[in-house]
Amino acid sequence: MNSYFFTQPFFKKNGRAIAIYFLVAIIFWFVFLVIIPQLYMLDLSFRTNVPPLERGGPKDFYTFEHYQHFVFGSKTAQDAFNFVDLGVFGRTILVSIFVTLANLAFCYPIAFYIAKIANPSTARLLIVSLIIPFWINELLRSFALRILFANEGVINNVLTGIGIIDQGILFITYDIGLYTGLIYAYILLMMFPLYNAIESLDVNQIEAAKDLGSSTFRTHWRVVIPHAKPGIVSGCTMVFMLTVGALATPVVLSSPNTLWFPQLIYQWFNMNDNWSRGSAYSIILLIISVIFVLTMMRIFKVRIGEIIR
Amino acid sequence: MTSSHVMKFMMGLYLFIFFTYLFGPLIIMSFTAFNSAEFPAITPWECFTFRWFNEGKIAYDGQHLAGLFTDWRLHDGLISSLIIGGGVVLLAVPIGMAAAIVLTQVKSQLRDIYYSISIMPVLFPGVIIGISTVVLWDRLAGLGGEGFISEIGRNGIFLTILAQTCFISTYCFLIFVARLQRFDQTQEEAALDLGASQTQVFFKILIPYLAPAIASAAVIAFLASFENYNTTVFSILSDQTLTTVIASKVRLGISPALSALALSIIALTIIAAVTYEILRRREEKKYALSQEKYVTEKAAISRIDKDYKVGFKIPKGIVAIILLVILCSYGGTQILKNDLYGQSCIDAADKEKKSKFLDQLQVLEQNELSDEELGGGNLGGNLDYGDIFGDPNLFQDFAF
Amino acid sequence: MSADVELSNVSVTFGSFFAAKNVSVKIEGGEFFSFLGPSGCGKTTLLRAISGFQDPSEGNVLIDNKDMSGIGPNKRPTALIFQNLALFPLMTVSENIAFSLEVRGVSKTDRQKRADELLELIALEGQGEKKVHQLSGGQKQRVAIARALAVEPKVLLLDEPLSALDLKLRQRMRTELREIQKRVNITFIYITHDQGEALTMSDRIAVMNEGELEQVGPCDEVYNNPRTPFVATFVGENNPIYGRIKSIDGKTVEIDTPDGIFRSTINDNTNLNINDDAIAFVRPESLFLPRSDDNFDNSLPVIIDSFEFEGNIKNFYAHLKSGTKIKFSVPNAIDTSHIKNGSSINLGFDSQKSIILPKAPLAID
Repeated sequence: MNSYFFTQPFFKKNGRAIAIYFLVAIIFWFVFLVIIPQLYMLDLSFRTNVPPLERGGPKDFYTFEHYQHFVFGSKTAQDAFNFVDLGVFGRTILVSIFVTLANLAFCYPIAFYIAKIANPSTARLLIVSLIIPFWINELLRSFALRILFANEGVINNVLTGIGIIDQGILFITYDIGLYTGLIYAYILLMMFPLYNAIESLDVNQIEAAKDLGSSTFRTHWRVVIPHAKPGIVSGCTMVFMLTVGALATPVVLSSPNTLWFPQLIYQWFNMNDNWSRGSAYSIILLIISVIFVLTMMRIFKVRIGEIIR
Repeated sequence: MTSSHVMKFMMGLYLFIFFTYLFGPLIIMSFTAFNSAEFPAITPWECFTFRWFNEGKIAYDGQHLAGLFTDWRLHDGLISSLIIGGGVVLLAVPIGMAAAIVLTQVKSQLRDIYYSISIMPVLFPGVIIGISTVVLWDRLAGLGGEGFISEIGRNGIFLTILAQTCFISTYCFLIFVARLQRFDQTQEEAALDLGASQTQVFFKILIPYLAPAIASAAVIAFLASFENYNTTVFSILSDQTLTTVIASKVRLGISPALSALALSIIALTIIAAVTYEILRRREEKKYALSQEKYVTEKAAISRIDKDYKVGFKIPKGIVAIILLVILCSYGGTQILKNDLYGQSCIDAADKEKKSKFLDQLQVLEQNELSDEELGGGNLGGNLDYGDIFGDPNLFQDFAF
Repeated sequence: MSADVELSNVSVTFGSFFAAKNVSVKIEGGEFFSFLGPSGCGKTTLLRAISGFQDPSEGNVLIDNKDMSGIGPNKRPTALIFQNLALFPLMTVSENIAFSLEVRGVSKTDRQKRADELLELIALEGQGEKKVHQLSGGQKQRVAIARALAVEPKVLLLDEPLSALDLKLRQRMRTELREIQKRVNITFIYITHDQGEALTMSDRIAVMNEGELEQVGPCDEVYNNPRTPFVATFVGENNPIYGRIKSIDGKTVEIDTPDGIFRSTINDNTNLNINDDAIAFVRPESLFLPRSDDNFDNSLPVIIDSFEFEGNIKNFYAHLKSGTKIKFSVPNAIDTSHIKNGSSINLGFDSQKSIILPKAPLAID
């Protein structure tokens, strides 16, 4: 096995004790924490939902019912498709894409400013200021927005107080709070890959482009953005994946009548006690995530190592 | 005004808006921690108080709103969060380190696959990691009968440590990989050549070199664990961590005690950030001084640097400090002038609200129908947060 | 204590690539031995095979007549000085020097004592508490040597340790290395691509090319009697003149070239017959400006292209009628004011100072 996997004989290179520690740690992680749980969840998603005592009994058999339920709804339902769940799913993905693009648009100027325009001490200060809000729990950050956006919250009180509107705007009901919160939640994960990518660009290239008569817009489009591509892809992937799988922010900020897809999973899992269906919905979420990463890698021709560093 | 001035102005304006977006909510939330009103708000401002940090209060409608330091649920949650954080650090740091070191040894053809597997967990949505851990261990516990396995398989803290380790190991892995990229492998060979055993090379060369990475991996692992909600909410089962307590508090009814908690965390964060920054600068200075060879060059550069900073930074700091002092003294005098501080103010406010409460109850009863139409939307206050999933009837027909 | 090192038929392959091919050489105890060759010729691979970092694909490494196969680098009586020195940056100078004692469980006071001794040997007394990055390049060099010598190895292996230093320092370190070797009296095996370094320090050198040994011998022998055109042009400078063998008379050979017939010398074990393609080599310092009373075996008519002043000598670049480039050098003491660019002159050289070899690739500079 040595010559197949390693550049040097593994036990000889690391010594027996350390080699055993490496192998145990890595196998424990890969096999017991990553692979087996996922496989078991996949298995469970194809099984009927039975109480623990009946596992392995006659009522425990393989079925597609949970996936069918996601698409077609319950057998007794009137509609041809499960519009509620499919709607939640579609909305989650569309909003996640929107949030990702919004993050990219908001972060690009700042990242460029910090990386290329600001002098070093200002840049340092700005970076530290960017990091500070993200040391605070995601739930509490969402809570801060909730204070602002609640129906009797700060914004509505101020606006009605000044007299611009006479009735509070329903920020939460219309999910304005949620969208704001989702953009807020992972903005740092867009900022840093972008910043790192732009920072590595040689200033001379920008100046050369300007010197050749390129407009500001054109310089960015032809010089900076192509150079920052791996950072852009990396930031977009991270933000999309985290947004689509977000639970904390929707718990605090989504309106009572709309759900975020992970909330739906949560509901099957903890409120309706249907673990099989929860697993099936998780698998669907996982598949979407994998498809997204692969698509990004394919379209922008980046390797996975460039996405996550 | 030239176009570059316009650009500069626009950029400044944009920076201002962006950072307002980042900090504004947090600052407003911090202020609400000092308002005596039951609902965290700035307007209407009742009285200035520290009670949300201390004892909390019994609200006029009889609901008990615990303050930060008297809330036993927060305390229990904090303790289990600390235990979990410690456990995760003990598992994830060694795992991440082992995986990163082995990455340097696998053949180049396999390196991409190995790397992909290692970073896969951060691409999994957190909820999925929580769920898969729970379903697996529930099954193992079921198979294991009444023994030890069934005991730990149903222990929320144990499961949470495992589930979080799954993806936090990847964070650690990435930190170690970054450090190892700059490692000069001939050092290992030199040590071997000088007679060290492989184990000695590991402990005397590699570990000291990785020490800074071990420290930052431990900090990151702990913070990530402490912060985590998406995975924990599934794997914690019947226990509670700080984040799940916060989540259920936000869900059950919002309280200024949460603002107080957030403010405490913000304060700790800023202190930590400033300390880190000071330490970093001191370290840099020390390093610069120790490099005798470059002393002359460095001194020239750092002098320029220092002058630059002095000329630039201090006025900015002074402006901010002066603004803060003015704001604080203005706010303070306003609060004192209008008698908005102290027990008498709070008592008066409570009395007024109690009398209003009965009226409100009547209004509530009359409005019941229209509430349902709006899904509890227009009411504000507690009902708004009563159930995050809205009307439970909505999903009843396909529950089973 | 020194030890013999013997390589017997050592080959190292990476896939289908031969980094070292069938190398056999015996290095005597106490010798200063250099492997000289261009980068990528496999000399570092050989050094790694001796030190134990690279297992030979075939053949054996013997140290003190003991087969070393299966013995790890930490169990061999060798110490290696790396090209980048590989000092441990997180340790002090003393800790670096005493590292080999530390891993052998020597007590702290003994370690300190030995470190101080070695610091004295390398003239860095009292600097043991410094960090490595506070030292200058030459000091680092000496610390690396002291570190390698701390457990008294029988063989010291040096992998181009001087390549990072500037010229002056490099020259001083050459003398210093040689002195240290004499003082500690152990086998030094030195690797370099710099022939000046190899010639000045070594007792014997081995010239390598593409994984194979071209020639092994004492420095003057390798310089004066190269066995192959590669060695002739890699070790020192040489002017090649291509032609065919016209006659062989004992050790004297006549070679027919487009620029005339020249007399040259053949080595004992060089196999050449009449009409074989061959190359005559003349070193720049063996070409003379003839004075009236001089009588050389050969006369070489050249046209001067350019001139270069190096201090103690003057280099002239010229060409023959056929276009072959010729370089020759003249001591500064000799007046050359009559030689101008474009002027035609006759150079002379002795047949004993020229050597003839079968046609083969030269070392490409």
